[in-house]
Amino acid sequence: MEKILLRNVDAPESHTLAAYRSRGGYRALEKVAREMSPARVIEEVKASGLRGRGGAGFPTGMKWGFVPKDSPKPKYVVCNADESEPGTFKDRLLIEKDPHAIIEGTIIAAYSIGSHTAFIYIRGELAYASQVLQKAIDESYQAGYLGKSILGTGYDLDVVLHRGAGAYICGEETGLLSSLEGGKGWPKVKPPFPATHGLFGCPTVVNNVETLAALPWIIDQGAAQYAALGTEKSKGTKLFSVSGHIRKPGVYEVEMGYPFKRFLEEDCGGVPNGRHLKGVIPGGASMPVLRADEIGEVRMDYESFQAAGTMLGSGGVIVMDETTCMVKAAWNIARFFAHESCGQCSPCREGCHWMEKIFWRVENGQGESADLDLILNISGNIMGNTICPFGDAAAMPAAAFIKKYRAEFEAHIAEKRCVISASG
Amino acid sequence: MDLVKLTIDGREVTTTKGRTVIQAAEEAGIAIPHYCYHPKLAIAGNCRMCLVEIEKMPKLQIACNTQVTEGMEVRTQSPKVLQAREAVMEFFLINHPLDCPICDQAGECWLQDYYMQHDLRKSRFIEGKHHDRKREIFGPHVVFDGERCIKCTRCVRFLQEVTRTEELTVVNRGDHSTIALFPGKVLDNPLSANINDICPVGALTDRDFRFRVRVWYLQKTPSICPGCSTGCNISIESYQNRIARFKPRINEEVNSHWICDEGRYCFHALTEVERLASPLIRQEGGLVPTDWQTALGTVVSRLSAAPPAAGVLSGRSTNEEAFLFAKLLKQLSPQARMEVFYRERELTEVERILKSPDRSPNFRGIRDMGVSSDGGFEPLLRELAQGKFSSAYIVAEDLLAQFAAGQELRDALAKLAFLVVQDTHLSETARLAHVVLPATNFAEKEGTYTNRKGRVQRLSPALVPPAGVLQDLEIFGRLLSLAGAPSAPPNSREVFSQIAREVSRYQGLSYERIGTQGVQLET
Repeated sequence: MEKILLRNVDAPESHTLAAYRSRGGYRALEKVAREMSPARVIEEVKASGLRGRGGAGFPTGMKWGFVPKDSPKPKYVVCNADESEPGTFKDRLLIEKDPHAIIEGTIIAAYSIGSHTAFIYIRGELAYASQVLQKAIDESYQAGYLGKSILGTGYDLDVVLHRGAGAYICGEETGLLSSLEGGKGWPKVKPPFPATHGLFGCPTVVNNVETLAALPWIIDQGAAQYAALGTEKSKGTKLFSVSGHIRKPGVYEVEMGYPFKRFLEEDCGGVPNGRHLKGVIPGGASMPVLRADEIGEVRMDYESFQAAGTMLGSGGVIVMDETTCMVKAAWNIARFFAHESCGQCSPCREGCHWMEKIFWRVENGQGESADLDLILNISGNIMGNTICPFGDAAAMPAAAFIKKYRAEFEAHIAEKRCVISASG
Repeated sequence: MDLVKLTIDGREVTTTKGRTVIQAAEEAGIAIPHYCYHPKLAIAGNCRMCLVEIEKMPKLQIACNTQVTEGMEVRTQSPKVLQAREAVMEFFLINHPLDCPICDQAGECWLQDYYMQHDLRKSRFIEGKHHDRKREIFGPHVVFDGERCIKCTRCVRFLQEVTRTEELTVVNRGDHSTIALFPGKVLDNPLSANINDICPVGALTDRDFRFRVRVWYLQKTPSICPGCSTGCNISIESYQNRIARFKPRINEEVNSHWICDEGRYCFHALTEVERLASPLIRQEGGLVPTDWQTALGTVVSRLSAAPPAAGVLSGRSTNEEAFLFAKLLKQLSPQARMEVFYRERELTEVERILKSPDRSPNFRGIRDMGVSSDGGFEPLLRELAQGKFSSAYIVAEDLLAQFAAGQELRDALAKLAFLVVQDTHLSETARLAHVVLPATNFAEKEGTYTNRKGRVQRLSPALVPPAGVLQDLEIFGRLLSLAGAPSAPPNSREVFSQIAREVSRYQGLSYERIGTQGVQLET
């Protein structure tokens, strides 16, 4: 398979402008700036079938199309580089190894919606990546790809890099916007949506790093080339961050629809040390876990993961072998969400902590028989009732772990101890 | 105005485009439970209590942030909605202390009310509760209990949007989220105590009121704030014939949902005084008690014998009292000049949101009733101090205490041939009087005030006057009879009917028309 997103990352000095240009970089921008109208770019992106790679999978071209053309307000493009989903580290690779692809994608997006200021909101902890990206932005300015009259076209664009202060919730697009505005990183109540009332109340498009990084290739090679890859509804390629009990962890670029089992066993080398696969979370910690016996027919695209009862999410594949205590895993994830809940709305603020406390009790031999159904009930009471998708993100894995490994949970309660860990 | 038709719980409802479901429901008399939603504050959408089911929408929607659309079908009582409501109640209560008996909010707590309506089950929460700060002083009028707080952010939004003073914010994350003062700030702005009113739970309570009375014992009387001429609508809440607190009463034409702190607490100074129990009359050696007949007879004979008289009415006198007072003074002393006490002060920007620069809630109405003279109050006072009057009738204003440069005035008052002071207590000014008439305060009387903008509004008696005193209105009425004038109507309602006949701007008005929201005079 021809690599699209990872086409440059292994090249020497791939993060520099010189290396990027020598490999065809900014050719798409030249094409856009000289030959294509904004509307034409949006059409092209729609035709490519590209969907948001941050987790929700919303069609990118359609998202851009929601931005009002006649608004007197400034419009903004925001690149969401606040990669924080546990088990996900694909954006970091792109930022560190191919920052110009992200910048070029950002310029293309901004051009297409008529924005003259773009922000890249990067996770604060990514200190090295921030440095690399800032250098790349500086290079782009010097080369005339950013600033006044880009490539002599009269189109101006500034790109501002903003480092977050360390909250998972700022990866949620409206939490990100609140943070970028200088406020507490609280998600906004919707409607209105960012396309009309986003950053500072102005029309705003928020795109994930991986989404934007795919744009130069799509423009350069054509939407049809991109759409030829993948499945009917999931086009192109997707990055997967693979971690956990797996022989070859790392970032993989996979054509949408690739068999999941084959991916884990062949591409990633399978579970090491002669152990067996117990479960795998395919899309980052917020997505429902799949049991080993559930992955046989699953393919790596939005629809197939959904049919299997989980989601593609951010593509953070977390592999767990038979030595993993699923109660402890569930507690670990619940603790993460309890810690990261922004506290704005009641079901998430109260429910995440409640679930975490119960998981802790079960893991530590203080579980009660009613606890499992209680967690399922709490999870159901959070689901769909919160301001932002964080509530679902906390509720879904909690319920999935119990439903899929119920016997193990019940054994913890019955024996009043952890039945998996050696330390018991 | 575009109209939108929708159905709520099967009932057809017509409302204006742009309204939200919670507003449309309220108009139709359907109450959707809520905490964070407040009609005067921006939508926060954080409590999730107002979740409703809307046809064709897969998820429940918050009624406070969902605009009505034509043909929308809303269900506020479906099983899914009831389940969500019960769940939200449970989430609010798991970390909330369940010690209502010692909470000052009990009886007017939205958690209690909605628990009874929408939850009513035993707690399933067996974990340790989250702890937070207890009784943190936020400012002179507000104390905070972090454990009772539900993070609805009404207080934060009030301080951002109404006063724009921004003393409070939400700090920390998750269930550690809590309301806190910004570093170095104190919650001390002229409207600060309103956040106690809008706090739906026991998190913010009024330092002046808390732990004085259980709220279910309070008797609530709709009235008008006597603090200034804005005429904020209030509820006087009293217990055992004492005012326990003022609460704002909603009137969009006057004060919306708010009152200022100065007005809120002004009842202490106005009512908590040592009351006179009988009229006093000056004899050798000082003021001694006397009976009403003697006192009133003395006033009539001596005031008419010492022209010209100066009349000073308190700005807290009612229109009805002023109407009779004007007639009385003209009867007794045709050359009399009379005025309502009026003095202005500088206001800050935040004070100007509600406050007027005076402390005379009814100065405008009193002048309408004929208690007015050329040049207003200040020239009259100057002339009084300069000894240009032989007698004076001063009602419920302690002129000597009001003015720093009181010596000239004190000497002038002492030299008057006759001074009558009518007040609730023996004020500095009253000590100089020849006759002191014990009367009533704003909370003991019926009547009307006309605010600065010309809105006529009703006072209602919340308290019973102490024994030995007479209503001001009755004092004026009896004096009028003694002076040989046509007898005055026996009560304020009928005096007002006379006003409505004789004072052209008040024509056609009645207590019924004024109602609880007042009537705007034509300008």
